[in-house]
Amino acid sequence: MQTFDSLLLGFSVALQPGVLWYAFVGCLVGTLVGVLPGIGPLAGISILLPLTYGLDATKAIVMLAGIFYGSQYGGSTTSILMRIPGEASSVMTCIDGNAMAKKGRGGAALCIAAVGSFIAGTLGVLALTVVAPPLAAFALGFGPPEYTALLVLGLIFLAYMSTTSLVRTLLMAAFGVFLGTIGIDVMTGHFRYSFDINELGDGLGIVPVAVGLFGLGEILATPSHQAPRDVLRPRLRELWPTRGEWRASAAPIARGSVLGFLVGIIPGSAHIISSFMSYALEKRLSKRPEEFGHGAVAGVAGPESANNGASTGAFVPMLALGIPTGPVPAVLMAALLIHGVPPGPTLVSDHPDVFWGFVASMYVGNLMLLALNLPLVGLFVNLLRIPYAYLYPLIVMFCVIGVYEVNNSIVDVWIMLVMGVVGYGLKKFSFDAAPLVLGLVISPILEMSLRQSLIMSDGTWAIFLQRPVSVVLLLLSAGLIALSVFGYFSRRRDWRAKLAEEAGEEA
Amino acid sequence: MSVKSDHVAGAAFVALGVVIFAVSGDLPFGTLSAPGAGMMPMVVTGLMMLFGVMVMLGARASPPLAHVDWSDRSHALLVVLITGAAVAAYRPLGFLLTMSLLVFLLLVIVERRNALIAAAYSVGLTLFAYWLFGKALRSPLERGVLWF
Repeated sequence: MQTFDSLLLGFSVALQPGVLWYAFVGCLVGTLVGVLPGIGPLAGISILLPLTYGLDATKAIVMLAGIFYGSQYGGSTTSILMRIPGEASSVMTCIDGNAMAKKGRGGAALCIAAVGSFIAGTLGVLALTVVAPPLAAFALGFGPPEYTALLVLGLIFLAYMSTTSLVRTLLMAAFGVFLGTIGIDVMTGHFRYSFDINELGDGLGIVPVAVGLFGLGEILATPSHQAPRDVLRPRLRELWPTRGEWRASAAPIARGSVLGFLVGIIPGSAHIISSFMSYALEKRLSKRPEEFGHGAVAGVAGPESANNGASTGAFVPMLALGIPTGPVPAVLMAALLIHGVPPGPTLVSDHPDVFWGFVASMYVGNLMLLALNLPLVGLFVNLLRIPYAYLYPLIVMFCVIGVYEVNNSIVDVWIMLVMGVVGYGLKKFSFDAAPLVLGLVISPILEMSLRQSLIMSDGTWAIFLQRPVSVVLLLLSAGLIALSVFGYFSRRRDWRAKLAEEAGEEA
Repeated sequence: MSVKSDHVAGAAFVALGVVIFAVSGDLPFGTLSAPGAGMMPMVVTGLMMLFGVMVMLGARASPPLAHVDWSDRSHALLVVLITGAAVAAYRPLGFLLTMSLLVFLLLVIVERRNALIAAAYSVGLTLFAYWLFGKALRSPLERGVLWF
């Protein structure tokens, strides 16, 4: 009953005209970010973060979150009509979505993707409403050892779930944690690796690093002559799926929603992993697996629902524990901190209007996205016809302005440029930059909680084994490492390797 | 034995670790009961080097270095150089001039587009961004020495 009352409070905030407007702007920009190749939600949110400085915390987070889940909707449009993922989590939708479009069922594929995203997003918010407050209440008892163990588990889970390699993921995470140590040590006041540059005293910001790696890095690796331009025109008359297509999509949408939400709670690039897992699951459960790759409805419905469910699930640890599960929640957390609202266990009790207003706005936002994505699909398709040669200078300009406006710091823009080159290099050698950003974000929390734990215990590691929650979390970490080591030495292909291989073959 | 891409990638991270240790001399490691400012960076740098060595050891499965596609390098280099020049010029020249030049040079030098169309597009785009950020959103934009 208390949850219901709180949700009513949330709707009273979310339905205010100002909040509704920013939710709409976020959803619209998110859809555009998802539609346009080369600019993902992370770069989009980072670039637009400075625009929220003049807003209150609720409007800011509502708009930025709208960009995040809106991009999941928009990403399906390019996947289906151009066979290029507008957003990394839409990779699996390319396969069957584009095959459906080639058969003249592009409209139906877009409709199924939008409806699946809506259902998954709404179910995800329902689950968030129920799960986040008790989890936050439980986390109020967490001390430094529990936070250290939780962050270690998060990093190891990220590496375990990675479809590339445990070692490469941990390498990126370690590099990110190191970058996070640059700047003044808050416990001793030492300047670390700042080389007499005052701006580096505050450390490397998430925004310049994220925009550099994911925005500029992507542009450096994409010359205009390599950007695909073949856009299939959807037959809007056939936007509504047939009864058979609805029937074929119902169960995959339900399964994708649940799977996506559960995977979303786990650290890592959950929305990407969830769509891969959903595709593999649907193919495994299908009575006609041979249809996958040739326009199977379930191959669109499942992954699209899963990536939206995961986007919502990612908000649970962010809001309830103050721990980001990936780079995008990390930037959203930074946005809340900029507005003086620390995310974490105290958010629900100290800022109920922000928390419940945000949750309620996601119900409204999902409705807006459904209304935006179906009727306006023609407009978004026309956007895809803008030549990439004219599009990327605009993105470069927005990267420079966006990064500069965060702190009015030209050093931040240089950092962005350097990280763009680093991102380009990492791409060439097949490294995933997402764990790097996650490492950078959690670095201050991890260092602080680890050092506090050691000081509390007078230098004894046993403190991590004296607290029940910490023991459970560390045992889980050890279990995951053991599973990975076993998989490596037994030379057996485990589910992740099979999944990556299957996805590679299909793509 | 041919050099694989992971040999180079792993070695690069090991080398980076060596450089980090070399410049970490004045950071106190501290003790376990009183960890110093250097503890965390040194521990994670050590881990980074360890993982770098592991990447090198598993390099057999990676493609040869010669197979890494660098066909986009001239595009990347030009974009970096032009963006770098724009960053350097941003404060002295201000928002309007720098951003117009950035977009114009990217279109003309990197994309070989018609200079007139590029000029019209870059000026129009910059004015739109100026209105959006400077006027509609009231973000402070650099004015530069020419005061616009």
